[in-house]
Amino acid sequence: MPETVGIIDYGLGNLRSVASAVEKVGFTPHITGDPTELAQSSHLILPGVGAYGDGIANLQARDLIAPLNRMVLQEQKPILGICLGAQLMAKSSSEFGDHIGLGWFDADVTRLETGDPSLRVPHVGWDEVDLVRDCPLFDGVPAESLYYYVHSYCIVGKDSDAVIGECNYGRRFVAVLSKGHMCATQFHPEKSQQNGLTVLRNFLTHFSCCANG
Amino acid sequence: MLRKRLISVLTFCDGVLFRTKDFTPDYRYTLSFVDAWSIDEVVVLDVTRTDAVARPAFDAVIQQFASQCFVPLAAGGGVRTMEDVRRMMANGADKVVVNTGALERPELITEIAESYGTQCVVLSIDAKRQDGGGYRVHANCGQAPTDLTPAEWAKRGQDLGAGEIMVTSIDNDGSLEGYDLDLCREVTGAVTVPVLIAGGAGAWKHFVEGIDEGHASAACMTNIYHFTESSIRSAKTYMAKAGVLVRQ
Repeated sequence: MPETVGIIDYGLGNLRSVASAVEKVGFTPHITGDPTELAQSSHLILPGVGAYGDGIANLQARDLIAPLNRMVLQEQKPILGICLGAQLMAKSSSEFGDHIGLGWFDADVTRLETGDPSLRVPHVGWDEVDLVRDCPLFDGVPAESLYYYVHSYCIVGKDSDAVIGECNYGRRFVAVLSKGHMCATQFHPEKSQQNGLTVLRNFLTHFSCCANG
Repeated sequence: MLRKRLISVLTFCDGVLFRTKDFTPDYRYTLSFVDAWSIDEVVVLDVTRTDAVARPAFDAVIQQFASQCFVPLAAGGGVRTMEDVRRMMANGADKVVVNTGALERPELITEIAESYGTQCVVLSIDAKRQDGGGYRVHANCGQAPTDLTPAEWAKRGQDLGAGEIMVTSIDNDGSLEGYDLDLCREVTGAVTVPVLIAGGAGAWKHFVEGIDEGHASAACMTNIYHFTESSIRSAKTYMAKAGVLVRQ
C-alpha cells in the first residue's frame, strides 16, 4: 500500500480543502477517522475549525485520543495541526468553559482580546508570521509572506523553544509551533495560496519518522 | 498587520457563471484565475430560482472551486436548513452565507455556529434606503421588506453566532457609483465582527472608500471586475497607493 497522508476525520472542519492541498503538493491524502488506517499513514494532519470543546469531545467520542497519543508520542509519527487542530494540541482552553487539550505542546488557548475596537474579532484574513526561529516548515517561503487566519481564540506558548512564529493582532499570539516531529499552525496552509502550499509540502517532505524525533 | 480583503463574489444560475459583458455571457472567468490572481477570498452564490432542494449543478461548482482554489471559499444562496449547510460544507465550502433563511428562522445562525464554529457563518444583509430616512432589511433577494434595521439585525446576528456580516445596498447594487457608506457605517458601528461591504462598486476608489469611510474589513466586487487577469492586481496596486494595507 503506498504511503498516504492521514487526514484525521473527527467530524469538524473542512477536510476536503486540506485533502485538495495535500494532493496539489504531490501526496496522497486519506481522510479517515479509523485509528488503524491512520496508523498506516506516513504523516497525520489534524485539521479543524469550530469550537474547542466540540473538538475534544469528538475525538473522545470516536476513541481517537489514545491511538493518537500512541502514534504521536510513542511512534513519533509526524503530525501537523491546523487552526483548531493546532489549538487542540495545546494543554487547555478557556473557550466556553475550561477544556483539557491533547497536551502535546506546553501551551494554552485563550480568547483573542485585541483591546481595540478597530481590531475586530474573529481575526479573519491575511496576516504575517513573524518567525522567531528557523524551522524547515518555512524553507523557501519568502520573508514577510502572508497567510490566511480565521479564529477567535489564540495559542499562548509556555514552551518558548517550540514557538517558531508569532502574529500580532492587538496582542502577540503563537502562529506556529514545532517540536521534533510535531507542527502546528494557527493559520490555514491549505487556504494560503502558494506560501501555504509550500509550508504543507515542507511538512510532508522535511518531517518523517526516521529523520526526526 | 491584518490586510484588508478584496473578495470576489460570483453568482451562478444552474451552475453557469451568471455574468455578461455587452449582454452576452462571458465564460472567461474560469477557475484558473484563483491562483494567478491575488484575490483574497471567493464567494459563490447560487441564484437559481427553483424550489428544488437538490442543486447538483451548484454542488459541482463548489466542488470545482474547492479542489482548485487555495483561498477561502464561502458558498450561499437558498440556505435554509442544516442539510443545505452540510451539503455545501461537504462539497468543500469553508463558510456558508445565509440571508433569507436566517430571517425566516434566526436559530439557523446558531445551529451553524454550534456545528461548524462562528467563523463559518457569514450573515448577508440586503438593505434598502427608506423614503423617510434610515434603512430596512429585505428578504427574498431584496423583494420582501422587513421591519428590521440593518444595524439591529446585524447585532442580533452577531449575538446568534455570525462570524462576519456582509452588507449589500439594494439601491446601489449594479449602479457602479459606489457603495452605500452610510449603510456600511450603521452596520460596522453596531457589531464587533468583521463587515464585508457589497453593492455598487464601479471603480477602484470605491474599494478604498468602503474600507476607509465605511470601516469595512473587506470590499466585495461582483461582475464588473472579472474581465481580465490584471484587474485584481491593478485594484490592489491602486488600494495600496491610497494607503490601504492589502495583500499584493
